[in-house]
Amino acid sequence: MGRSLVVTTLIVAATLFVIVTGLLVGAKPLGLSKLWPVLLSPDGKIDSILVWSLRLPRSLAAVVAGAGLAVSGYLLQALTRNPLAGPDITGVASGAVAPIVFCFVFLPWISSVYYPFVGLAGGLAAASVTLWVSRGGEGRPLHLALGGISISLFLGAATTYVLLLSGPQAPSLLFWLSGGFQGRSWPHLLYMTPWVLGGLAGAFACHRIIGMLALSEHASIGMGLNMRFWKPVLLLFAVLPVAGVAPIAGPVAFVGLVSPHIARLLKPHNIGWSIALTAAIGALMVVTADVIARSVALPRELPVGIITALLGGPFFIYLVQTRRFSLKGGQSR
Amino acid sequence: MTVSAPVHRPSLFGPLLALLAMMVLVLVAAVFLGVADIPPGDVAAVLTGHGSDEARSIILDIRLPRIVTGILAGIHFAVAGLLLQTITRNPLADPSIMGISQGATLAVTVFLVFTVYISEPGSNTLAALPLAWLPAIGTLGGMAAGGLIYVLAFRLDLGPLRITLCGIAIGAVLHAAAIGLIAGWGSARIEILLEWLSGSLYARSWTHALFLVPFTIAGLAALPALRRSIDLLRFDPTVARSFGLSYRKQFSIVLLLSCALAASAVGAVGPIIFVGLVVPHLARFLVGRHFALVLPLTIALGAFIVTLGDLLGRLLGQAEEIPIGVITALFGVPVLIALLRKIP
Repeated sequence: MGRSLVVTTLIVAATLFVIVTGLLVGAKPLGLSKLWPVLLSPDGKIDSILVWSLRLPRSLAAVVAGAGLAVSGYLLQALTRNPLAGPDITGVASGAVAPIVFCFVFLPWISSVYYPFVGLAGGLAAASVTLWVSRGGEGRPLHLALGGISISLFLGAATTYVLLLSGPQAPSLLFWLSGGFQGRSWPHLLYMTPWVLGGLAGAFACHRIIGMLALSEHASIGMGLNMRFWKPVLLLFAVLPVAGVAPIAGPVAFVGLVSPHIARLLKPHNIGWSIALTAAIGALMVVTADVIARSVALPRELPVGIITALLGGPFFIYLVQTRRFSLKGGQSR
Repeated sequence: MTVSAPVHRPSLFGPLLALLAMMVLVLVAAVFLGVADIPPGDVAAVLTGHGSDEARSIILDIRLPRIVTGILAGIHFAVAGLLLQTITRNPLADPSIMGISQGATLAVTVFLVFTVYISEPGSNTLAALPLAWLPAIGTLGGMAAGGLIYVLAFRLDLGPLRITLCGIAIGAVLHAAAIGLIAGWGSARIEILLEWLSGSLYARSWTHALFLVPFTIAGLAALPALRRSIDLLRFDPTVARSFGLSYRKQFSIVLLLSCALAASAVGAVGPIIFVGLVVPHLARFLVGRHFALVLPLTIALGAFIVTLGDLLGRLLGQAEEIPIGVITALFGVPVLIALLRKIP
């Protein structure tokens, strides 16, 4: 209990540190001495605009998105009892993105306010197909990985085709598709927060169900769990954050997959702490990636997706190689 | 087997003949049909060495090289898929899933970004694109990704399942990096890359076909010599070794061969998804346990499906043709999902 608290506090502190660092770096660097007056009393000058309407909301958006994606990955891994599950590999992310791209290009009269709902429907549909292929997560992990990857590839091909048809909109769509927080401000933050909070709250509320699911499907049925009810509910909570984050930041790769594993390595005390730790790690990962993405290639900006893929990808490959990592279905960790 | 074979063989003759007829039909249709309406008589005239200059240039310089490139690429993908499925003992292996296509994509992206963007930043002229280099660069990238999978697989002596998962992971990382680069690059020239990314036979010329031919010949010539090893690689390493196979060496050779086939095809036409995955299964489904027939049928079906898909894409899309990669993804996914449900 105490240890989990300390670890989580440390990660939150690191996140805060990165947020503050993120306020300082950028196209116009800001001295630490100048930061405090600007933060405490915004005066409408260039520095305060930089901090208050560009850098701070953007970093907060990255924090919220990271936490949401990480929790989504956690729920998907718990739901399928498969260490490879995550928004990318189960097809949830591409399921959310493909219909949004379609709406953006072909149905421009649909207001972007509704994009999270479009993403939710798409993500749920894609995840349902993947789950059906992998027999509700009971099949071998290979089924889940290959089913999800094929669905992602399929939706990716469809998205690429839509991009080809979209003509001049393609570059901006592509930047969004690779994930990024460029130009994201308070409205965007407010827009996606409820979705992420919904997923987080759902995860915390279901922590006992998740604990039972971790044992085995039969055991949890034996303990009186109605799987037909709880599996779709958990899936809904897993897709909610992705649906909220996708219209703002696009699919940010690997965060959802890797964060739960890092959290697991830190051995949290119980399921509740696991969720909190996973969310904190996801937040730290994305906000760090965002600060890197907007500061290494000045004056250009890299998509956040590259940085998270470069951070998370090698870890994922390492994970696949380790012997401890079980590839048989029906095991939690 | 010896008893059932004579019973089965006559029943195969009919379907195979029908398939052959369909292939010829599609091939003829691919030559005769297209967005530019040329009367069949003129096409026939061109093919026999006459015809107007316009018809000649459309048929000989646009349609035929495109069809030939497609056939060669289809053979490459299908054979590479069959080899990968055999050696990883995984019925779902495929160059587009296991990172080879993504390696080629990343290499092409990096190459274009560096040659075009660095040399003349801000320019939007399309003519400056060094398109002729793309096949070679893509081949190198795909081979490099294959090498990476190989190193990871053998450093820890991984089983086939982990090799597949490693391939998926490497593919995902490379793909993210490539998309990130394209997006970060952000210029009007993106369309060329997008077209290539979705796998397309658009504007493929004799150069592309000629680029593929050496790989095709070398690959197909190597197959008879490798037949015994391919048969044995189907089994566990211990079993294969007990038959006197130097497992590691043969595994490496076959992996290299499939990487070379897949990477060169990706370099020439972009990642055509699922041909390598679905065609070997179709072949096995059609000829059942007649192992000797699986390989030739895989080759034939690979060529057939790409030709058919490209013809569909050209006819359905009219002036804005649908890239072949999209067509194969659309038709390949249902087949794949059905397969996944069937495999225990």
